[in-house]
Amino acid sequence: MTEFTLQDQIRDRAKQLLASEQVKCVIGYEHGSRGQVRPAFIHQINDVDSLVWNQGCTHNLVTYLRDIKGTFGSDEHLQRVAIIVKPCDSRALNVLLAEKQIEREHIYVIGVVCTGIVEGAGYAGQSSDKLQTRCVRCSDRVPVIYDLLVGEPTHPEITDDYVDLTELEAMPPAERAAFWLKQYERCILCYACRQVCPGCYCSTCMFERDDSLWVGIAAGVKEKEAFHLGRAYHLAARCIGCDECERVCPMELPLSLLNHKLAKEVQRLFHYCAGDEPSQSPLATMLAEGEEFPA
Amino acid sequence: MKYISREALQTWLDRLANDVTLIAPRLVDDILLYQSVSSAREIVLDYTRPKMSAKEVVLPSSEPILFVEKRGQEVSLTEPSSGAQIIFGLRPCDAHGIAVLDTVFVGQEPIDLNYARRREAITLIGLSCPQMREDCFCTSMGGMPNDPTHFDVLLTEVEDGYAVNTVTDKGRTLVDHLNLEEIKGEPAEPIINETESVLAQEHWPDLFADHYWDLLAERCLECRMCAYLCPVCRCFDVQDQVTQQGISYSKYDRLRCWDSCTGTNYRVVAGGHNPRATKGQRLRNRFFCKFHYFPVEYDHSGCVGCGRCIEACPVNIDIVEVMRDISRAFNASQISNASPDAEKGVTA
Amino acid sequence: MSEHTFQPRIIAFCCNWCSYAGADLAGVSRLQMPADFNIIRVMCSARVAPEWIIKALLNGIDGVMVLGCHIGDCHYISGNHRAAKRFVLLKEMLAFVGVHPDRLLVDWVSASEGRKFQTLVTEFSKRVKELGPCREWQVEIQTPQR
Repeated sequence: MTEFTLQDQIRDRAKQLLASEQVKCVIGYEHGSRGQVRPAFIHQINDVDSLVWNQGCTHNLVTYLRDIKGTFGSDEHLQRVAIIVKPCDSRALNVLLAEKQIEREHIYVIGVVCTGIVEGAGYAGQSSDKLQTRCVRCSDRVPVIYDLLVGEPTHPEITDDYVDLTELEAMPPAERAAFWLKQYERCILCYACRQVCPGCYCSTCMFERDDSLWVGIAAGVKEKEAFHLGRAYHLAARCIGCDECERVCPMELPLSLLNHKLAKEVQRLFHYCAGDEPSQSPLATMLAEGEEFPA
Repeated sequence: MKYISREALQTWLDRLANDVTLIAPRLVDDILLYQSVSSAREIVLDYTRPKMSAKEVVLPSSEPILFVEKRGQEVSLTEPSSGAQIIFGLRPCDAHGIAVLDTVFVGQEPIDLNYARRREAITLIGLSCPQMREDCFCTSMGGMPNDPTHFDVLLTEVEDGYAVNTVTDKGRTLVDHLNLEEIKGEPAEPIINETESVLAQEHWPDLFADHYWDLLAERCLECRMCAYLCPVCRCFDVQDQVTQQGISYSKYDRLRCWDSCTGTNYRVVAGGHNPRATKGQRLRNRFFCKFHYFPVEYDHSGCVGCGRCIEACPVNIDIVEVMRDISRAFNASQISNASPDAEKGVTA
Repeated sequence: MSEHTFQPRIIAFCCNWCSYAGADLAGVSRLQMPADFNIIRVMCSARVAPEWIIKALLNGIDGVMVLGCHIGDCHYISGNHRAAKRFVLLKEMLAFVGVHPDRLLVDWVSASEGRKFQTLVTEFSKRVKELGPCREWQVEIQTPQR
């Protein structure tokens, strides 16, 4: 099945949903100002034809549910929001559902079978033919949660074994620390990584509280390090590995390495993978019978 | 205009790096940034635009403006000092940005002493752009890829070397003792993009309440990238940070740090009220600041057209597109005012 | 800093219901302990936010202990269950960014275990002394002058 028909199916469904007033808005993708793809919010049937689906649809749209939260009426005039999700995005949906951030009946999920997103997607003139690293590693080509599935399910073999992560793990600790410090130094504290993250939904980030004794406003390497480590830990067992934080970082910090490391340890310690199903993180639940930490 | 060969330039830069703090485009983990260099070899000469603007040099992302030391009942205040700095390889848009910051911080009384002190010790040696990038629009904002106005010295690449255009006395003292020859011929004109038209500042308020801003902001992530990369965005926050605290001795730094109107809590006042409560209002402020508030206050645009925000925005909020949409919306509203049947508003 | 002059700075987070009482018992029993730790009393070991530990270790603290009730004895029934899981993961992350995992100790001390408190503190202090100051290498990496 070609991408062209996937796009048509999405548009058809979006039209139906808007026409029947089942949803008030469809969150999808459209062409941007310079040939790239960008998030789109379709409120009117006339605009549905601007929806696109291709290998440049990199954004995790689940992030935007944060803004929409609380805008739903509770009565009979419940109008839902339709959202287009890739398999990775759908896992973020599961995390938000488990944490009661959204109600299942408030969203209509259009799941798209994804064959991978290309490098440089979302930025003008930077798209390449190469798949993003996260897509090469992804065996999950079918969304884990959807109301409508678009595309034929496939289950590719994955060959990637996280070379970047194992290389870093093999470094001597002091070198690894130096590596990270060098990365943090570049950070400009624009908080794009936090803003783009579907898992970061606190109304006031604890690293931005008006409290200079806790986290200073200085853009020093210590503050940056505390922010990135704190954020990574807050996302432990919740990060679904969409790597959007790394994509949006203007300073190209390898933030996904931290997240992947924690995901790997969560898998090893708790046999849990965030987003597989709408279940609570093991860090928020009791020990199972016979389970013991520190082991 | 004088001429300097590539070799002579390298020697000169090496000497400058030795004598003062030389800031130049340098690769840091494959990202081009204006940073201090220790020799000419580190400098990248073949580039279009560093990721961050040179704003960082004149207005650091976080700078102590006062050191407070308290010993018993005695309080002492120290002001920071700054040494001589030369920025080499500055692009005209970045120099334009610094000129705009100058008008804000030292252009009118009372002047900002910290800024003035640092700026005084900075010399700008520019490098003309041979051509504009696809997302550059400096020509629409009153700049040119080879505009010498805001520099002390501007170099323009010619065959085998650079044409040296000395603009100010500060630049002359730097260049004079190099004994440069007169240049033969003129450097080539840069390749420029089509000029965008900007809606005149007095018309912007007509679109203040337009639904356009809410629609535009739907995809905004509310990060501060655009403001932090911008050569002109200059909002800051001041806080005291405790660096040492004891019973009889304590130390505080008064810090000035970048802030951005796109952030959620930028406008929050005591008691928790946020006058700019919606994302649309916050994003609107960014564009109104550049194209209305700034021109009203200082008589020129608050954007220099470097295109950094266009390149970096992960959700494609494109300032050029906004300019076009706003012009179109204004024109449409003019027509609809003339004929009441036509549709009002922006269709974007 | 040479080995014998180095006095580590250690923070011990003790839960209000067991470990703090345990520390108290160690005190009133006049058990000998190194004097290089400071106790911060918290209501439960699960109250200890990982950010606190990160922040402490990055800001000149050389070791952090988190002490709570024994599993099954938590005043809040399952607070220490969560603490147990959280800090084992935090150790992995700290190791990944170059902080030795031994700088964080998680254990359970009941109100009657003054002796255990003494042993834990003594051993931990010894271990942290061996490891040396946290982030000693940081001085080598200078923030570039911009």
